Amino acid sequence: MNAASPTALVRFDGVGKEFSKRGHRFRAVDELTFSVHGSERVAIVGETGSGKSTALNLLLGLTRPTDGEVRVIGLDPFAQFSELAGRVGIIFQSARLLDWRTAVGNAAFGLEMLGVGRSERLGIATDWLTRLGLGSFLEAYPHELSGGMRQRVSIARTMAIRPEVLVADEAFSALDEMTAASVRADLLALLAEEEMTTIFVTHSVPESVTLADRVLVFTRPGQVRRVVDVRDLRSRGRSDSEIEEQVRAGLRDSGAGAGVAGRPDTHD
Amino acid sequence: MSVLSRTPLSDGPTEFPTGPAPRRRMSVRDRLRRSVPGVIALGALAGLWQLSSVFLSPVATPSLTEIWSSMQAIVTDWAQLENLVRTGVRILIGLLLAFAIGMVPGVLMGFSEGIRTYLRPILYFVQGIPALSWVVFAVLWFTDAEVRIAFILVMVTFPNFSLFVEGAVRGVPQELRELGHAFRASRWNQFRQIVLPAITPAILSSWAVNLGNGVRAVVVAELVGATVGVGNRLLLAQSLFNMADAMAWTLLLVLMLLLFQTVLNLIESRLLAWRPVGERR
Ligand SMILES: Nc1ncnc2c1ncn2[C@@H]1O[C@H](COP(=O)(O)OP(=O)(O)OP(=O)(O)O)[C@@H](O)[C@H]1O
Ligand SMILES: [Mg+2]
Repeated sequence: MNAASPTALVRFDGVGKEFSKRGHRFRAVDELTFSVHGSERVAIVGETGSGKSTALNLLLGLTRPTDGEVRVIGLDPFAQFSELAGRVGIIFQSARLLDWRTAVGNAAFGLEMLGVGRSERLGIATDWLTRLGLGSFLEAYPHELSGGMRQRVSIARTMAIRPEVLVADEAFSALDEMTAASVRADLLALLAEEEMTTIFVTHSVPESVTLADRVLVFTRPGQVRRVVDVRDLRSRGRSDSEIEEQVRAGLRDSGAGAGVAGRPDTHD
Repeated sequence: MSVLSRTPLSDGPTEFPTGPAPRRRMSVRDRLRRSVPGVIALGALAGLWQLSSVFLSPVATPSLTEIWSSMQAIVTDWAQLENLVRTGVRILIGLLLAFAIGMVPGVLMGFSEGIRTYLRPILYFVQGIPALSWVVFAVLWFTDAEVRIAFILVMVTFPNFSLFVEGAVRGVPQELRELGHAFRASRWNQFRQIVLPAITPAILSSWAVNLGNGVRAVVVAELVGATVGVGNRLLLAQSLFNMADAMAWTLLLVLMLLLFQTVLNLIESRLLAWRPVGERR
């Protein structure tokens, strides 16, 4: 079940990541193996500290794996860092906008880093902001935007580069429930129109089942404890709440009872 | 790119139909009202001076009218005024040099812990050397008066630029650096688009501080061999026991500093236009 397929778009093969914490070594991710195929949508859930963010950082090439192999579109994201430019994109938990740039300037940031010319990138950024309902806020500075609007700008910034692999780390958890619901709906609609492989971390079990084809349940230290094949289960007539129950069972198995149940599961 | 031209997703972007509220700026009236206490305080100081000029020797404390006519004489005579202008130009050149020189170690220290541990002690050491020591060194090392003055100004102000920049570079949030990496920003873009704008407020503050340091240091520097400049004029006034002239030069120097600060504030409000303008502060 956990074997990494060689044809996958994203492939983790026995990946470990060690940090040294106050002198002694510590494994955030250990023997992590999974793969994601083209245009598949995968959710990662798991107790806090189970290495979800670390896995995404490895995927983006922001940290070097201690052992094992990470491949994204056939490339090593750490060693071949710049070759993945424009091909992977991330939506962070917080918007991380540049305060000195307007909404459209922020949305064009990714394209600018790729060397796209000024008028072209501003045009593309404007289109994405408009699609996300921010057409009349193009020239607004981040401090003039609400939290939900800021996250929309950050979504536009990432979507504008049209990454082949889109990664999101708790992209809605910093927002209040209503705003999160509306931003989530917008992103979902965008993803329905775009062919994009998506990997996202969430703390909401219903969100994972609604948005993903497959749910990976992580356990400490950074391993896939269980895979719930949402699409397959659905085709076999299972209801969403039955599938959610399977994800929850996976979380319980991983001894995460305290870790996850302790978290407010906002969408229950 | 046909997909891009589609209609907005959220039919009726419900939360925000109109665009941001216009930005508020302080009105001229508010500004004037705010400056009232300052004017009162300075007025009181002038009053005290005037009062003491009545009771004390006119050589020690010339009256305000005497000082005023000294100032008028300076401002209306280019041969005199040139001293002030030259001093101002020296300050600006010295500070620009110091900034260019100070930026480099500042940025390097901000990025590298290793470089920081070596350079920091040196900068603290240099910062602790009094301006007068630099004057002595400058006289021994250089012959040209302008070179001496520039050297003194640079040595007195560059460590401060470096330390300000270092702190600011280190203060750039890790989140934003990661953003740059995630979007594969080149080293240059990482610096130009993320670090530099983020440290601009600190750079402007360091300029505000160093304009003051520069004004104080330049007159000391001008005591050595400069035949033109406010420092030289102050020395002359002292040798002639002309307190009115000494006061006039001093006041003009302070006014020039205020002018520089005002220009700096204008630059700041242009460069930092993106900052939120609070209605209370
Ligand atoms: N740079 C780092 N240095 C040291 N330890 C780290 C570092 N990054 C992560 N860790 C540790 O690795 C473990 C996994 O962290 P990670 O952020 O990947 O967890 P997570 O699953 O994303 O948790 P959460 O759900 O709380 O976001 C944690 O124990 C964390 O303290
Ligand atoms: Mg995390």
